[in-house]
Amino acid sequence: MAADVKTAQPLQYYRKFIEKDVRPDERTLEEFRPTVLNIGCVTTAEGSALVKLGNTTVMCGIKAEIASPKTEEPKKGYIVPNVELGPLCSILFRPGPPGDQAQRLSQFTNDVITHSCCINKEDLCIVPGKYVWVLYCDMVCLNYDGNISDACVLALLAALKNTSLPKVVWDEDTETIETDHNTTTQLNIICEPVSSTFSIFDNEVLLVDPTVEEESLSTGEVTIVTIDDKICMIRKPGGSPLTPQQLDLCINRSFIRSQEVIRLIQETLNSVDR
Amino acid sequence: MKMSEQKSGSQNVLRLMVCEMAHLSRPDGSATTFQGDTCVMTSVYGPTEVRMAKEQIDRTTVEVVYKPKSGLPSCAEKSLENIICNTCENILLGNAHPRSAINITVQEVQDSGSFTACCINCCCLALLDAGIGMKCTMAAVNCCIDNEENIIVDPTRKEEEQSQAVLTFAFDSKDKNIITVITKGKYSQQQFQKCLVLCRDASDSVFKFYRETMEKKLSKT
Amino acid sequence: MRETPLSNCERDFIKTAIAEKKRIDGRQAYDYRHVRVSFGVERGCCMVNIGDTRVMAQVSCQVVEPKQARPADGTLYINVELSPMACPSFEPGRLSDFGVEINRLLERCLKESRCIDTESLCIVAGEKVWEIRVDVHVINHDGNLVDGCSIAAIAAIAHFRRPDITVSGDEITIHPASERDPVPLSVHHMPICVSFAFFEQGKYLLVDPTDKEEKVMDGRMIIGMNKHREICTLQITGQMLLLKDQVLRCSNIAVVKVTEITELIHKALENDREERAKGGKYGFAESVPKNKVTSNHKVSAPVDMETVEDHVTSTFSQNDDVIEIDSDAASTSESDDSVVIMDKGSGAIGLGGPSTWNVDDEMSELKEENKSNTTKTKQQKSDTNIVVSIDDSSEEETTEILVEPSIQKQKKKKGKV
Repeated sequence: MAADVKTAQPLQYYRKFIEKDVRPDERTLEEFRPTVLNIGCVTTAEGSALVKLGNTTVMCGIKAEIASPKTEEPKKGYIVPNVELGPLCSILFRPGPPGDQAQRLSQFTNDVITHSCCINKEDLCIVPGKYVWVLYCDMVCLNYDGNISDACVLALLAALKNTSLPKVVWDEDTETIETDHNTTTQLNIICEPVSSTFSIFDNEVLLVDPTVEEESLSTGEVTIVTIDDKICMIRKPGGSPLTPQQLDLCINRSFIRSQEVIRLIQETLNSVDR
Repeated sequence: MKMSEQKSGSQNVLRLMVCEMAHLSRPDGSATTFQGDTCVMTSVYGPTEVRMAKEQIDRTTVEVVYKPKSGLPSCAEKSLENIICNTCENILLGNAHPRSAINITVQEVQDSGSFTACCINCCCLALLDAGIGMKCTMAAVNCCIDNEENIIVDPTRKEEEQSQAVLTFAFDSKDKNIITVITKGKYSQQQFQKCLVLCRDASDSVFKFYRETMEKKLSKT
Repeated sequence: MRETPLSNCERDFIKTAIAEKKRIDGRQAYDYRHVRVSFGVERGCCMVNIGDTRVMAQVSCQVVEPKQARPADGTLYINVELSPMACPSFEPGRLSDFGVEINRLLERCLKESRCIDTESLCIVAGEKVWEIRVDVHVINHDGNLVDGCSIAAIAAIAHFRRPDITVSGDEITIHPASERDPVPLSVHHMPICVSFAFFEQGKYLLVDPTDKEEKVMDGRMIIGMNKHREICTLQITGQMLLLKDQVLRCSNIAVVKVTEITELIHKALENDREERAKGGKYGFAESVPKNKVTSNHKVSAPVDMETVEDHVTSTFSQNDDVIEIDSDAASTSESDDSVVIMDKGSGAIGLGGPSTWNVDDEMSELKEENKSNTTKTKQQKSDTNIVVSIDDSSEEETTEILVEPSIQKQKKKKGKV
């Protein structure tokens, strides 16, 4: 009976739960799904992480390559994030070139890295004007159950913290470089951006960490990226209007979430070292 | 945070706003908006036919194409298209034109600061010119927080590049609730609240500008 | 989107009018519509109006590696975009046949006629040269796009200034505009295209056809010419045959038109230069007429900064009715959440709420296996948090187990070593 109502009238089905301040998956409105983080799972990559946020799974792998820098910025390396949403993760996606959503997510993760300044691009310089590191960050979604942006940012941050670059020696006489894979230096991460997504239901109710069903019924979305006690990015692209008080509540909730996540990353990293 | 002491011209003043409407003969609605030196041109076609794949049975499909001045469109442009599309979808009476599409094309003419805000304002004016039913109008205001913690409303490009954070807000005309927020750079929650309140007050003049423009356009003299 | 087709009666009307030497907008057969060239604030930005047809061009530059075949030459890249703004039938993305035709025409007219000196664009031979990129956007389509595009492109190129550059040994410094004045491009000549539309198998000829006339015409001829009477490009399309004296006649007409238009471009460039030198206002904003009903000017509006503090406190203290998120619950959940380390490199938080990844079961299996390893695991009161699995399918459990043993195996290997 409940399943029939859910298929025929999903909005009514959800409304009945939300009136009682609960969601169909037994979470309260402000609870995140269980987050599992696995660091260093891909040994062939310079850094990697796997995040499971409820059922949503994103794997991030970081590969480093040597390239020549742009003429305007001879001492800066680059970071190239890319998000892949393939038919593997959901029937919504087709094989082929990246669709709109994948491109938006790639741009979003790029913005997070640039605006949070979590990596100093001059750290990636090998020989100014000639050789710099390029970090290709590939985030592949393995299971799509909503809230991909949070999972991507978490996976990216954890993978970057796990990244270590091999030592490169520049020989002035022969003008060549030699890479030494045995000695590696850990990448220096200056700050830790954490993202929290809220979806707006029925123009009034705010739900934390929406699943894919909740996203399809939502009338708007807000993503907040925080670093320690500062806000790095707020993205609310259209959708139902919010009052400033509601937005304030979202910001408060995301600060709490960011502390939890940073603890998670720290302790998981510690367990890798042991 | 210094505020009332700042009397220098650029910091607490919305720049000169100019707009021209219905100057393109083909589109159903068109507008060119200037905010200081920033210029954006928008055209609206609609309601018109929609491709089968994108048809929605109960509402209009809003499609936005943003064309940068130089270079080929990339991911950053898709992001801006998404922002404008969601913002416009929200204020249009979507249920009035089911199984139809409204095509909005935004052309960058000059980016001298406050660009996202100018795009959103221009879209609103173009939709008004096309006469498509809307629930309310929307006004967008940009502001930035510079390195000395001052808030500058409607900054120029140079001020934006030297600032630590740039925030864009779009408000609706009914209750002045926030339709869209896009920010870049780091700032504290208190700074955010102050920017929000400042931009909300500044949006009054943008709404007034819309009224004056429409009054002038529909006047008989 | 499909375009509205031209009705038969309109078609016949236009043809009959042309036969009587009349045009529907009242012009003579060899008259151009009113041409207007204006420049923007940024260097290299030009907007051209031919009647209602509007075209905008922007020039930009970049330092790149030169082509292998010509290591000491810079490159000129032209891109014409038929914006969906101009006509409902222009689709964004894929270029239609018409778009490809315009692109090739403009390339031939500008690139292959060598209107700019590409050797002066060389910085370091074989390594770094300037690439000049001209993006032409068609804003409104009311016929004769080719002319509009060519005028916009060449005017923008003449208006553009590239940054000054100094080469010292291996290093190249690009000077921003604030340090050193940018340098103009060296333009040898200004090729401009003139379009002719033919009707009735070449019997009637019109210069600068509008959109409706273009739909009715038999064929078209485009002559690209500069004011020194040199033909840069010549193209005839359509289903018609022309006599050679018709072609010669057209080229004579083209000479007159091109001279006029080149004059106009030079005058516009002069005006712009004077305004910039005087420090006056320049750019598109100045070209918007103030006395039209459809335009509106509003001077700078001051923003009240003094009452902000009061506003902030009043806005954000109304925290009561609007709340849907219970902030108390949020703070209590914080105390429950501490990190559970499941395995080396794996951690979890927030075991409240269901998940088909079955974290709880996995945890209890690992607890047994971990006892045999030296890895420390932190345990908390997660036993009190119940994970309810919605989906009872065993496939997911099997998948998880596969992941764990591989890590276990790795650990064991490391233990042996």
